[in-house]
Amino acid sequence: MASTTASAPRASVNVGKLLTRVSMLMLGIVVVYWLGRNLISSPAQFFTVGITGLSNGALYALIALGYTLVYGIIELINFAHGDLFMLGAVFSYFFLTKFLAAEGGSARNYGLLALTLVIAMAFCATINVVIERLAYRRLRDAPKLAPLITAVGMSFILQFIGLKWNGSAPRNFTTILPNTSFEFQGVVVPYTALIVVSLTIPLLVILVTLVNKTRQGRAMRATAQDKDAARLMGIDVNKTISFTFALGGAMAGAAGLMFAQSYGTVAYNLGFQLGLIAFTSAVLGGVGNLNGAVLGGFLIGLIQGFNDGLPFGPGQKWSQTMVFTILILLMVYRPAGLLGKATTEKV
Amino acid sequence: MAKGAKLRKEKQSVAVSGESLAQQSSSQNRRWTRGFIIAVVLIYVINKFYIPVAPMQVKVAFNTWLSLTSMGEIMVFILMALGLNIVVGYAGLLDLGYVAFWALGGYVAGWLMSGFFDQVTFKFGGNPAKGLPHGIHLNVFLVLIAGGIFTAIWGVIIGAPTLRLKSDYLALVTLGFGEIIPQFMVNGENIGGFNMTNGSKGINPVDNIKIFGFEFGPFALADKFLLYAALAGMMIFLSLRLRDGRLGRAWLAIREDELAASMMGVPLMRTKLASYAVGATAGGVGGVAFATLIGGVYAERFNFQISIIILSMVVLGGMGNVWGVMLGATLLAWINNTGLVQIGKIFNAATGMNVDFPSFNFLIFGVLLVLMMLFRREGFIPEARVRLIMHEDEFADVSNVTDQIKLEGHHHHESH
Amino acid sequence: MSLTNKPVLDAQNISVVFGGLVAVNDVSFAIPEGSIVSLIGPNGAGKTTFFNVLTGLYQPTSGQVIFDDKDITGLSPNKIAAGGVARTFQNIRLFGMMTAQENVMVAMHSHMKAGVFATTFKTKKQRQEESEARDFAQELLDFVGVGETTHEYARNLSYGDQRRLEVARALALRPKVLLLDEPTAGMNPNESAQFVEFVHRLRSERAVSILLIEHDMSVVMQVSERITVLDQGEKIAEGSPTEIKNNPRVIEAYLGKSGSEASQNVN
Repeated sequence: MASTTASAPRASVNVGKLLTRVSMLMLGIVVVYWLGRNLISSPAQFFTVGITGLSNGALYALIALGYTLVYGIIELINFAHGDLFMLGAVFSYFFLTKFLAAEGGSARNYGLLALTLVIAMAFCATINVVIERLAYRRLRDAPKLAPLITAVGMSFILQFIGLKWNGSAPRNFTTILPNTSFEFQGVVVPYTALIVVSLTIPLLVILVTLVNKTRQGRAMRATAQDKDAARLMGIDVNKTISFTFALGGAMAGAAGLMFAQSYGTVAYNLGFQLGLIAFTSAVLGGVGNLNGAVLGGFLIGLIQGFNDGLPFGPGQKWSQTMVFTILILLMVYRPAGLLGKATTEKV
Repeated sequence: MAKGAKLRKEKQSVAVSGESLAQQSSSQNRRWTRGFIIAVVLIYVINKFYIPVAPMQVKVAFNTWLSLTSMGEIMVFILMALGLNIVVGYAGLLDLGYVAFWALGGYVAGWLMSGFFDQVTFKFGGNPAKGLPHGIHLNVFLVLIAGGIFTAIWGVIIGAPTLRLKSDYLALVTLGFGEIIPQFMVNGENIGGFNMTNGSKGINPVDNIKIFGFEFGPFALADKFLLYAALAGMMIFLSLRLRDGRLGRAWLAIREDELAASMMGVPLMRTKLASYAVGATAGGVGGVAFATLIGGVYAERFNFQISIIILSMVVLGGMGNVWGVMLGATLLAWINNTGLVQIGKIFNAATGMNVDFPSFNFLIFGVLLVLMMLFRREGFIPEARVRLIMHEDEFADVSNVTDQIKLEGHHHHESH
Repeated sequence: MSLTNKPVLDAQNISVVFGGLVAVNDVSFAIPEGSIVSLIGPNGAGKTTFFNVLTGLYQPTSGQVIFDDKDITGLSPNKIAAGGVARTFQNIRLFGMMTAQENVMVAMHSHMKAGVFATTFKTKKQRQEESEARDFAQELLDFVGVGETTHEYARNLSYGDQRRLEVARALALRPKVLLLDEPTAGMNPNESAQFVEFVHRLRSERAVSILLIEHDMSVVMQVSERITVLDQGEKIAEGSPTEIKNNPRVIEAYLGKSGSEASQNVN
């Protein structure tokens, strides 16, 4: 019985709705004014930060997919997912930069980069599957509080691994991807942005095809809707859930590598904040909705880019506050996200 | 079914055992209360009267393993863990941003009992430090009350729009809030040109406490400890009383089945808000207390880790169980402020290694949360009902079977 | 007969649409004061949805619910409950880990006042309120016949006792209308027969009007003064048990067009 029309009614619903509309409208006007003023006063910078934002957005989208896949199938906010991304970044640094000594952009190094991409994805996929197998699976029928708290604990454990592996200080290194950029009509376009976006889009396409078109994807969707029914149809639910965690983990691994290569720095505490931002993206798009996660990722990237980079605006030190304020407003006014559907409880 | 009247007499004998169940819990409470008071008095007396005259080794041992600062901190954490317990343990709402209330309370102390706002000079029962006559200096009790009220208001502001969300969404919103508030404090040295929080430099010193003419200087740690213990004691009392009353029942009902609770006339929003506000108040009072303990407020101390440490205290002790949470808070606060460092020193001295023990707190709290959830969800001193709730999945099959057995037995009974 | 009394609860032209699906279509239904009426229909007929509209869980797409001369359409469930419309659940929803007494006392929440302050300091008023509530809870537990289980956790009660406890909990709201959602589900014929007597006692001793959703036809026929039949969201018949028994549309709805479907449609 999923429907917005039948969701719990409230007496104050009309006053509340009106208030919501008005405040949303005012917020919209403020945002439009803010963007408009910046666009007119410094158009080149506007597009420059927009491109940076989109490039970050691609990373957010990749991480957000992991949240959304897992939430879609077992209704768990996997707090550890951001830290999995961090481990992906740290792993790719140690494997590619230290172990394979791949620094700077030679042909050999680009080959190794492609190799590392695959290995980092496998690495994070494995960790994610193991976490599910060891912890979440045993709590599948437990009250919701239990897996949530477990996920928070897992996040701490992964952070600890990152801390011991990477050290407490961030590590800076020379990337394979060029850190130069070109200019087009005054708009600065970093090459990394182009590479990140052009690597992300095929990954997203592959993932969406996998979920929508393949047998394994159908099993995922069936399991997400009703585990018991799926089991009766002969679907191996455990395997399907493991597969979902593997997919989400792989996306986090890819994002980790791309982050490391576009910023040339890794730190053990990357995961917490990027994870939260990515989760906000997932919520913005509608948790459980793949397209939504991608849309949300790019939107949040843009918003953050504008916030951080526009000459007339709050600036970078309010970046986190900005994103979390969006998260809170969303949760309050549109918990279903842009592309999601609200649900009500069965009686 | 008209056996009610007949059972009146039977009931009395059964009710006796029922009453004794209630008595059991109240006698348990009495024992724990006595234990708490004895422990507090003992710590106070030893530190106040024995330590100053004690041999050097004893002094050193106490200072390393059971320093008064750490004891005071433990009391503050008991207070806050019990506050979070009302939200998480009683009402079943996962709050991952509890540190925000601690921070807000801390800044209330920073604002109302220090020389920070030197644009004004206002003294009301306060105790300005020498050479800092300006600023606002209120009496510590007033500040505690103000901190509690201020955070309660914030609790309602945050809670009102978010408490109707599903539990996992609520966790995230509170987490976001727990991030925003400290960031605001860090950035708050220039809010439209006004220095509100002094940024990452923090506000210090916070005035020494002065009660009835007695000043608790930086070395009057034993007296301060007594004050914090009294605050913790008040929170214990409040928690126990609330649990057995109208609100406590409504909270437990919401924790078990929100929808059924609302169908029984329990207003969900208001009841959840009440738990949130009480929890926030405790956090705020804890914030004021902590600021007076360390004599300052520092934005960087209010991080996500603290929220998780306090949550761990609640989980370890057994969600909803006042005494369990108290012990959980004592143990974890001690490990966090003393244990890890001291054990690390001993370990490193003994092995000649150089292991950074405090960095292991990530691992300790992470593993603790995971293992507790996997193997002992009810905590170490569980309330009977929490044990049942947290193992609902495992008990479900068993209870179905017993239900059937009972049902069959019932049929016999009824067919007479 | 009580059917001629003024309705205490009056649902007028209720429709509920989920997405594109019409779950309840223009159903009007009244509960006369002091009556015992039933709502029946095959599975998926919209009975529980209709129930959920009456108790405020769903907002009807159109139509009005009048209770006690007041429009309660769209009020929140807890306000409707506090106002005097109480219900039980098809699949028992007790607070399993609270005692029987606490379960009943939860439902007195809206009639009690003690807040944080009064509870903390156990003011005289609060103590009096609590002891009155405890007495009333015991009275209700005795009334439904589980008076000896006061301090037992609800989940440890037998199935039959849990059903009774649910009624006691509903009564704690001091309702004018009691909605019972399949109260005899899981009972044997013997218990069902006793249930009929119990419903009459409920009405006479607790002064409530009663609406039943029920599958057990023998119970429905014995206890109801009026029966309303829903099928696929529409009201297809209303009348006395004898009238309903002989109504061809009802028979068709229950047995389907061919006999082979009967076993699937009738629960």
